[in-house]
Amino acid sequence: MKFLLFIPFLLTLCFADNDYYQGSKPTKKGVAPVNNALYLKECGSCHFAYQAGLLPANAWNKMMNNLENHFDTDATLAQEDWVSISNYLNANSAEKNMDYKRSSRIVNSLRGRAIPDSISQTPYMIEKHNEIRPSLITQKEVKGIFNCMACHTTADKGIYSSRDIVIPNFGRWKD
Amino acid sequence: MRILLLSLAFLTLSFSAVIDDYLKDLSTQAKQENPNFNGFDTKRGEVLFTSEHIGKKGKAISCVSCHGNDFTKSHQNFFTGKIIEPLSPKANPSRLSEVKTIEKWLRRNFNDVYNREGTAQEKGDVLTYILSKDQ
Repeated sequence: MKFLLFIPFLLTLCFADNDYYQGSKPTKKGVAPVNNALYLKECGSCHFAYQAGLLPANAWNKMMNNLENHFDTDATLAQEDWVSISNYLNANSAEKNMDYKRSSRIVNSLRGRAIPDSISQTPYMIEKHNEIRPSLITQKEVKGIFNCMACHTTADKGIYSSRDIVIPNFGRWKD
Repeated sequence: MRILLLSLAFLTLSFSAVIDDYLKDLSTQAKQENPNFNGFDTKRGEVLFTSEHIGKKGKAISCVSCHGNDFTKSHQNFFTGKIIEPLSPKANPSRLSEVKTIEKWLRRNFNDVYNREGTAQEKGDVLTYILSKDQ
């Protein structure tokens, strides 16, 4: 009879689909979509315009303060654009978007860790991608883990659900 | 009809004026940097554009790596795969239409390919080369 008491507990474990669940449960899927034209234009001209809610403000600031060496390329901006983009990132960073599932998981995975240099270096992102064969990530259709849209077909809408994943030369991803 | 033609002619003029004025500024600077400066040169621009160098990422690249050889067509960022719209102002009217944007990309791209900023002469040569392909 006693073991029955554990059933709800065990069920919770089975259905809690992340290890970083802390505090109140996020009510919104994915991450808040980008809604800043300057950010889209300036950052999106070289790579996918990652949503601000994919990193906490301290990580965005670390990145914005090193644009002359942005992943070994020069991504420097005019001063006024640097200010506006920094403000946008700070106002919309992950820890201010804890009602969004992905933002909340990224923030929780970073508790007690150093400030990451990139989204892909956050523990949550590393864990979420660790089952994927490296050759699928480095293949020419994808190029690298930075290229969200190569597999996450709805990434630009802030949706990273597994049912929207199609990996080139592999197909749909099944969890 | 005449108004339409006139306004079209005016638009064309005002678009090209941005890059013409910018080239004039570069030319003044180039003279200050080098008293023997004798105008921008398409051939020198082509060499700057097409020659490979070990860039900021430690890989041999040239401007062609990201922009391609046909300026009327879009190409892909060599590292990220992101589409880059055509360099030709004829094919892509927003190209070379704003000094702030021209300066931003010349600064970044010289640093990425040459690991240093371009001189006024080099910038003018490259722009002259890009424009020459539209003629």
